[in-house]
Amino acid sequence: MFKKSHPLQSKSEIILRNIVVVAMVIFFTVFLIVPIAIAFAGSFHDWNPLSGTYDFLGVQNYIDVFTSGLFWNSMLNTLIFSVVVIIFRVGLGLAIAYAIYSTLVKHKSFFRAVYYMPVVTPMVAVAFVWKFMYNPQIGTINQIFGLDVNWLMNPKTALAAVMIMTIWKDFGYAVVMYMAGLYSLPADALEAAKVDGANAWQTFKYITFPLLKPMTMFVTITSIISYIQAYVQILIMTEGGPGTATYLSSYIIYDEAFVKYNFGYASALSFVLFVITAFFTWLSFKVSGSEE
Amino acid sequence: MTRKISKIALNLILLLLGVVTVYPFVWMLASSFKKNSEIMALEQHLLPQIFTAENYINMNERFNFMRFFANSLFVTIAITVIVIYTSTICGFVLSKYRFKGRNLIFGFVLSTMMIPWCVTIIPKYSMIQAFDWMDSYKALIIPAMFSGFGIFMMKQHIASLPDEILEAARIDGANEFYIFHRIVFPMSKNGISSIAIFQFLWAWEDYLWPYLVINTQEKQLLSVGLKMFNGQYSTDYGALFAATAISIIPVLLIYLFFQKQFIAGIAASAVKG
Repeated sequence: MFKKSHPLQSKSEIILRNIVVVAMVIFFTVFLIVPIAIAFAGSFHDWNPLSGTYDFLGVQNYIDVFTSGLFWNSMLNTLIFSVVVIIFRVGLGLAIAYAIYSTLVKHKSFFRAVYYMPVVTPMVAVAFVWKFMYNPQIGTINQIFGLDVNWLMNPKTALAAVMIMTIWKDFGYAVVMYMAGLYSLPADALEAAKVDGANAWQTFKYITFPLLKPMTMFVTITSIISYIQAYVQILIMTEGGPGTATYLSSYIIYDEAFVKYNFGYASALSFVLFVITAFFTWLSFKVSGSEE
Repeated sequence: MTRKISKIALNLILLLLGVVTVYPFVWMLASSFKKNSEIMALEQHLLPQIFTAENYINMNERFNFMRFFANSLFVTIAITVIVIYTSTICGFVLSKYRFKGRNLIFGFVLSTMMIPWCVTIIPKYSMIQAFDWMDSYKALIIPAMFSGFGIFMMKQHIASLPDEILEAARIDGANEFYIFHRIVFPMSKNGISSIAIFQFLWAWEDYLWPYLVINTQEKQLLSVGLKMFNGQYSTDYGALFAATAISIIPVLLIYLFFQKQFIAGIAASAVKG
């Protein structure tokens, strides 16, 4: 605060600053605040752009959301999906990052680059690749394991199949994040543990893992936010089926809004998801903050 | 001795996981050079027994795939270049200038990252119709010009540039536009390359928005084209593999090319929080 960077603002600074701030504010107002306001208002209406309806309904859309069996079904699917994928993402990410970080492994940047590859490939395309891999006729998964499972058509395996694909695509992100976390750990804490005669597991359990907690929080929060919004893999691989076995909450929004054109109902549903996202984000911050 | 054994075991496990990670790409690429009869055959080999490029040729003749590819490349590059510029200049102003409301604006930018796509997409779709931007690339590019994530990343990076350099330039009489374009921008390479790769990927893989706002087939983008193609030729697996391969390769090339600065950049911003 007291660092005097440039006490006198030059004319060009004021011009540049004003241009940038005004542009930013206009942009986010037009493409974010106004749409949120429109969606909020719309969630209280029977809103269908095809028939041109826009009639006030009060909270009826919200009542419909909470009394819909499909909504609760999709919430359960989203919960299972998020919890399982996040556990694997964090667990694999941490274990692999720790393995690469150890002195036993030489080609560190090679492994890191390989595991990160699926993260930077387009979801639409990899969802297709996996859909073919799960195919009972031409798919490579049944052939490798000698199985005869129709992965995406069987209600018992469909959600698991989509989860496996998502774990494969996303674990590399956690690897890279944890590696960054590991390399920024204070060396003296680890050194002290060594001097005190702690073995590798004790060091990990009592020193490394607690020190990595902010990173674990970061990965978990960003994962929750992104899995509540996940729909592309469902759209490509199962379209919610078989039956409603793979309906995730965001996929219903896609379905209601752009297949059935129930804009009002879909808006109400998006606000419900918005509140859930905000709640989990707040909760994670609170949990991580209270222990520091 | 035990150290040597655990060293070998650990490296083998990591290598095996690496194979699992890469296998889907290899399988898809290898299959795209197989004839359909071989893809459907009972006895399977990973590599094509008879190598053929006809899937790629058929696919383009039947479906004009290169057109989709070129459209996607144009829109994606346009968005990426614009977002790099806006993120860097916003990051510069928000990190190096002190003014009233700065923290408020930055907090607001941060919170934009938490808003799910589903909340804004319906009104945005109605707005694009009202603006009469349907079926034009304006609808794809203009709503993507600023990125909360990009501004956040660049603010973190530029904050760590030393003030002394900017101060020295000011004393030499440089104005702020010169300082930004000639000093700050070239010094932000790591941050810029992480935004470049992420923004390129996001714009390239976006499915729903182009599907909603683009109606003419000749103007459509690759990810939407890929799904249409899958609906139309659902049994021509060879061509489907070729189409999928084409939609992955550019992104992978960019990643492999920039990966060093990119991973350094993305990880650094998370550690700094």
